[in-house]
Amino acid sequence: MPETVVAIRNLSKIYAQGEIQVTALNDVSLDIEMGEFLTLMGPSGSGKSTLLHIIAGIDRPTSGRCLVQNLDVTGLNESELADWRNQNVGFVFQTFNLIPVLTAFENVELPLLLTQLDRSERRRRVQTALDIVGLADRMHHLPKQLSGGQEQRVAIARALVTDPRLVVADEPTGNLDSHSAQEVLMVLQQLSREAGKTVIMVTHDPKAAAYGSRSIHLEKGELLKDEAVTAR
Amino acid sequence: MTLGTFIIKNALRNKRRATLSILSVAVSLFLLVMLQVALRELTNPINDEGSSLRIIVRNKVSLAQPLPRRQLQVIERIQGVAAVSPFTFYGGLYKGDEKFTSFAQFAVDPERCPLLISDAKIPKEQYEAWVADRTSCILGRLTAERFGLKVGDRMQFTGQIYPADLEFMVAGIYHGTADDRNLMFHQSYLDESLGNPGTVGTWWVRAASIDEAPMVTERINNAFANSSAEVRAESERAFVLGFVSMWANIKTLITGISVVVVFALLLVTVSTMSMAIRERFRELAILKALGFRRRELFAFILAESCGLAMAGALIGAGGAWVVFHSIDIQKATNGLFILFEVTPQMMGLAFAVATALGVLSSVGPMLAVARTSVVQGLRTLD
Repeated sequence: MPETVVAIRNLSKIYAQGEIQVTALNDVSLDIEMGEFLTLMGPSGSGKSTLLHIIAGIDRPTSGRCLVQNLDVTGLNESELADWRNQNVGFVFQTFNLIPVLTAFENVELPLLLTQLDRSERRRRVQTALDIVGLADRMHHLPKQLSGGQEQRVAIARALVTDPRLVVADEPTGNLDSHSAQEVLMVLQQLSREAGKTVIMVTHDPKAAAYGSRSIHLEKGELLKDEAVTAR
Repeated sequence: MTLGTFIIKNALRNKRRATLSILSVAVSLFLLVMLQVALRELTNPINDEGSSLRIIVRNKVSLAQPLPRRQLQVIERIQGVAAVSPFTFYGGLYKGDEKFTSFAQFAVDPERCPLLISDAKIPKEQYEAWVADRTSCILGRLTAERFGLKVGDRMQFTGQIYPADLEFMVAGIYHGTADDRNLMFHQSYLDESLGNPGTVGTWWVRAASIDEAPMVTERINNAFANSSAEVRAESERAFVLGFVSMWANIKTLITGISVVVVFALLLVTVSTMSMAIRERFRELAILKALGFRRRELFAFILAESCGLAMAGALIGAGGAWVVFHSIDIQKATNGLFILFEVTPQMMGLAFAVATALGVLSSVGPMLAVARTSVVQGLRTLD
């Protein structure tokens, strides 16, 4: 029986905008299994990014629980949450968010600076991560010397380098041309299928969602549809 | 890569801004050190043994009022007085000087002087030549070097205080005193030029011992109390400090300027650091997402801020140390200052100010980072 990695129970998130309260998530419950490539879809304001942020431990729900590998991340304090993110979550963002003054190698190495690994072990891990995304030959390039697709692949390598269970991606192909988007999606799919990582991706694009193994549609903060995706 | 390299790369990412920030700190701290040095030179008179023994006796009404010559016999007999000589500031304009007198000329009694200027080193034959020739003078080495004067040369002065133009023959050149700029000549020569008025500017007294000096001061004051020419005797140090006080409250003025410099510098540094952090808000949010804790981000900001301030301090305070040790300050200030010494305390002050700047300018950015969640930071536009 597949192991449940993420268990979400009655999750709600309400933002206060002045005197108006906006419900981003309304009593969402969901299980995500190990190795799944889950895509979160829905129109703007549907709560998909909020859900992703709560699962990744960078936002807190108003109520409900979010258990990742049986650990309730909503109960962790700021410092514990930071450690937990470093060890368990890899982030990929729409705008790549690489540090412009660091080379590809250094950008990937960044999360490892928080670990006890020695220099040679860090180097080995960074090289492996860059090999996986096919950018070992670009390791000494600065972000501005890379194409958008290559930057995003460096960001994926940075997400992988700590060997996390979860890889969360917030519209990772939103800023890419179709060819680069395809490359990135294939890398994410490979991570799920071959490395057994649980990948959760927010996207607007049904073509991108087709790379996943399961797709969830949200609207007005509620789960609308939860369906398996035919293998691509 | 180490965290140190990461901090350095971040600090230098906008090289022009980093350079300008460092230079603004450097220039301000150079100015601060210069002001402190000037303040020290102006308010910290020489305090060697010779100076501690010397007492200046002036008219109680005002320094500008002369004292009767007849007081000499009274002072000589006061217990604890080892030597006494007239000490009259002539204040003539040397023909080599353009607008103002850059060195002092004092009329003294050469025969009574050896004990009073025991720290002055002068060849015996030169001293004897000075005593023997009423129109001769002895000159401090610094002034002699400055004007290229040697023994036997003549110096002409136009009286600025006294209506007497004097010409001296340089009989000797001395060195070894705290201020090797002064010229000394015969009081009798000045008296003769003024028609023997029977007065002197001040008395220069040497106490027999340092322990006795305060009592000698008191005895001299008492000796002339309720006379037609009451005196004010004080140590040479107190006398010099009295002179400094005539320049208005220079200490308050320089301290005020220093505070303004530091405050302006603080505003510049705070503004620079705020800008540097504001434009990296998104990146700091990414670092938080990657697992960096608040305290680590604080450390980055503090290290960057203090690093820039310290680099400025190294250039500014270090530069002041190098400059003031290399240049001839007497020549550069036309004789206003003899020495311009940067003390370890001043360097300490400059680096303490830099540290405080680094810490204070990082407080705002730290608070902003602490208050901003990862999600808010990610929404920040680049």
